[in-house]
Amino acid sequence: MPPEEIEVLVFVAAALIFALVLTAPATPPRAMLLRGGVGLAGAAAVVTVPTFELALFVVLALGVLQAYIGGARSFALRLRPVATAVAMIAIALLLVRAQGPEVLDRLAAAGLAAGLAAAVGLLPFIHVFEADEDVASSPLAWLGYLGPVLAVVFVARTQGVLDGAAWAAFGAILIGLGVLNVAWGGVAAWLATDDAAAWRYSFIADWGLALCGFGLTVADGRRATLVVLFGIAVCRLPLYLVWRQAKPQKSPTDRPVNLVVAAALAGSAPFAGFAARILLLRGATQLFWPIALVLALGMLLWLPGSLRLGRSVGVPRGRQAFGVAVVLVLNAVVGLYPLPLLAAAHL
Amino acid sequence: MIEIGAGIVAWAGASLVVLGDGRRGLALGVAIAGLGLGALAWLDAGPAAAAAVAAGGMVAAAARLLNGQPGWRVMPAGSTPRLVLCVTVALVGLWIGFAVTTGPGGGTRFAALTLLVLAPARILWSEDPAALLTATGVLALAMGVAAAAGGVTADIWAYVAAGLLASAVAWLPPRTPRAA
Amino acid sequence: MPSFAVVAPIALPLVAAAVIAVCGLAGLHLGRWAAGAGAWSAVVALVAVWLPVRSSLELLLGSLGYGSSLDLRLDAVSFVFGLMIATPAAVLLTLQPRSWQGSAVALLGVAAALAAVEAGGVVLTAIAGSTAATVAVVSLDIEDARAPRPSWALLLAGWLALTWFGALLQVGGGTAVYSAVPVSTVTGPVFVVLAAAALLVSCLLPWRVWPSQLWARPSLRAAGVTVATLYPLGFYILVRAYELGAGRYPHVAFNIVLALAGIAVAVAAAVRAQAAATRREFLGDVIPGFGGFALSAVALGTPLSLVAGIIMLVTASALVACLALLPDRTGIPSLVTVAAAVGLPPGLVFGSRVVGIESAFEGGDFLGLIGVAGAAAWALWMVAGARAIGLPGGRGHPAMETFPRVAMAIAAATIIAGPGLALLQLGLANPAAAQVMQGVTLGGGATSIVTTSSVLPVVTLFTPLVLFALLVYVGTGASAIHTEARPAIFPLPAASLRRRLRAAVATATVPEQYRSILNFRGLELAATGGRPWLWITALVALAFAVTR
Repeated sequence: MPPEEIEVLVFVAAALIFALVLTAPATPPRAMLLRGGVGLAGAAAVVTVPTFELALFVVLALGVLQAYIGGARSFALRLRPVATAVAMIAIALLLVRAQGPEVLDRLAAAGLAAGLAAAVGLLPFIHVFEADEDVASSPLAWLGYLGPVLAVVFVARTQGVLDGAAWAAFGAILIGLGVLNVAWGGVAAWLATDDAAAWRYSFIADWGLALCGFGLTVADGRRATLVVLFGIAVCRLPLYLVWRQAKPQKSPTDRPVNLVVAAALAGSAPFAGFAARILLLRGATQLFWPIALVLALGMLLWLPGSLRLGRSVGVPRGRQAFGVAVVLVLNAVVGLYPLPLLAAAHL
Repeated sequence: MIEIGAGIVAWAGASLVVLGDGRRGLALGVAIAGLGLGALAWLDAGPAAAAAVAAGGMVAAAARLLNGQPGWRVMPAGSTPRLVLCVTVALVGLWIGFAVTTGPGGGTRFAALTLLVLAPARILWSEDPAALLTATGVLALAMGVAAAAGGVTADIWAYVAAGLLASAVAWLPPRTPRAA
Repeated sequence: MPSFAVVAPIALPLVAAAVIAVCGLAGLHLGRWAAGAGAWSAVVALVAVWLPVRSSLELLLGSLGYGSSLDLRLDAVSFVFGLMIATPAAVLLTLQPRSWQGSAVALLGVAAALAAVEAGGVVLTAIAGSTAATVAVVSLDIEDARAPRPSWALLLAGWLALTWFGALLQVGGGTAVYSAVPVSTVTGPVFVVLAAAALLVSCLLPWRVWPSQLWARPSLRAAGVTVATLYPLGFYILVRAYELGAGRYPHVAFNIVLALAGIAVAVAAAVRAQAAATRREFLGDVIPGFGGFALSAVALGTPLSLVAGIIMLVTASALVACLALLPDRTGIPSLVTVAAAVGLPPGLVFGSRVVGIESAFEGGDFLGLIGVAGAAAWALWMVAGARAIGLPGGRGHPAMETFPRVAMAIAAATIIAGPGLALLQLGLANPAAAQVMQGVTLGGGATSIVTTSSVLPVVTLFTPLVLFALLVYVGTGASAIHTEARPAIFPLPAASLRRRLRAAVATATVPEQYRSILNFRGLELAATGGRPWLWITALVALAFAVTR
């Protein structure tokens, strides 16, 4: 199993441990352990299976199970995104394998990129979102929990399937989608009418950076993506869980802890987001410097939304406060010294 | 010829899934699709693969007979767009499967392509859980057969996984949305 | 001296912050002496490491993971900037009482800012500087969440720009280490990014931004430390830019544009200062005014001007501590501070500005005009200062955080130290200029400053003026000062236009017929509703794009 994929699996497992140990969720712990455990097992299966097709089967099964958990959205709304994503990727794989004109490979690249975005729930294939839905049955489960593993596995498998020109097209599409998600997610997180939507769009904005990293077919791009995915799974998702506890009880507050949380979410130094931005700018400059300029401008969009999200977390107490401290310290350590994280993934 | 015939049978089954709302129509559709895909799997990967796919389709059909809207309800009122979709997808699938793409396995390509479009189309078009789960089963079977498209020797596990997934999802009882 | 010693100025405040935090969490408040000790230990460490060696000391600890190594270097530039950052912070942390949280965070900011100036490469400077900016914002919030604080977006933009500059150096030249970047890597377009970063990091802008807004806060404890730690960093970047370019900027146009920008900042601050309603408002524009003059001097590009710029920055750092400790009451402390701030002879401010303007004239051609503009700006400051003496003090600050005698001593020291201008040049500014300008050194020794066309006998000229100033001080009382609201010497140009523009922007709304375009919820429903046509359209668009 590729070390990068295992490492992302570890990130996801850490998020589950945080949810179980350091939050007081509305969902009973047993149910959360069961749902999170099944998701983690599914993610592990995606990493482990030897072929791309088997990975798609696992994803489809996870999609059906997740749709089956139930929630505010209808069964159809919950099933559609994953089913459509899996179908797009399957069609793309078929086009790649079939003998024919070169354009089929490029169409396949488009299908694979679109399928990845649809599976995770990114623009323009975003999932319907209901603020009150349980995390396990909401789109946040794909954005913050299963998505990182899927993305790393899918991109790695895609690299083995597409040849030179098609792979370049795949990278270009991912960068385009990435910039779209950065811009839209950043603005929407700032201007969304409710905090739940703002949180969702903040995940989408982070995923925009991850897609750009995947699309920058240089080593620094992959390194940046790994650090971004770390930030999503081990910073943003736990803080989102903390916010869900704070939501019914507290109005937005403006204490120093909220500013520190905002700094972590905004990708400000010394947190992991800043290290990811350094690597992204390096990678983009190597490939085509105007991309770096666009990304740098887009990175400024994180601030207003992050300030809002930081305030929404309120003042954590007890176990949650300890959990928030752990998350922030971990992110600061990785932000200042990401080498061990990258070395473990052989990047 | 067998390959083309099997492909058309599979397409017919999937079309029945798209056009049918009742559990009998859905069950018959997935069964026919399973048979057609099973024949293609036999040609591509041997009897074991065919058995896995066909069995998946049969088990899914059996499960569907127990859950869903009663009766056939094939081509109910307002289903003309679905009919048009089935025909259009077939024509485009024939074109891509036999003209745009080349090499052996045209029937497999046609069947896989059409089912990989019709099944999610049904999922996008329907709100009925029984139809959704049936279409998901058809999608799984199509994915299994698509692994052999292009003349590639597919892993047996792709077919086994397809059959298992198709049969498993059909047994899930339908769920209704829960207010928060 | 072991190379590991360069860590000391950074590590000691960090250790102090940790100790204060642990004790604070345990319910034991160590008080301001602990915070002061942490900051003073950094100052002592800087001096103790630098003085015995007086040449670069470098510590290289291996890769961090983003193309940069943990490379710390203490040379003349980082020494002088480190003193500029740590000394006023140490004074403020020692004297002003704070909560343990405020002390710990302030020390973190000091450590981060020192790390930024000790960093051996651009990327590490960006990381440390951005950390210092984040910590400063948190520190200001701990003290008072409702008072003005720096625009985080502006700060982040500056540090992101510097990060990108570092990436450009790494990609184009293979390294972003200051002493190792190939000169050919720093092209004109690349330098634009650097210049933008420097201007944004210190907010060297002609309009009122945080270096002046912070002085209007109800308490100046966090504001003083913030200005002390963050404000010099933009100048540090511009000074290091000489090292990157083998002693000069890529094109003389950059020198001219940046020098003009500095004059614009100084003039704008002077225009605001002469229209100030209170003395506190006037003093709030002193540091931006210093910054403008310093930017102009640093950017001119000659060794003499760079030396003048560094001395201005050193003096400004002293005045940061002075302004934070000064109460808003009328009296001799305010009088002396205003005198020091506007550059009354024979102070350091006076001497450094004289040298700076002379270097502009000696540069010739267009630079001479910049010198003229600088002189005119200075004259405006003098007039504004004279007006400010008679202004009402301001709304006042808590008495426990003001130390009028200490403030007056600092201000007086900058005036009395005027004869020591040459010594300051010799000991601090010259080595820094030589470090970045390929070993070019100025002559003159400890008693005079040698310029291109003349010699300025500082001690001989300034000492009698000091004696004269002391006589004036002894013979003058503050009772003659009568404060009252005074009209501006001239109204702020386009002040009403700016107000109207700001109001127009604040009340702008999207026209009714276009609101649906920006309705995120509506778009989301359209994208994910029962018939996801947006999905299909997007897929078709992607397919079309890849087939072109």
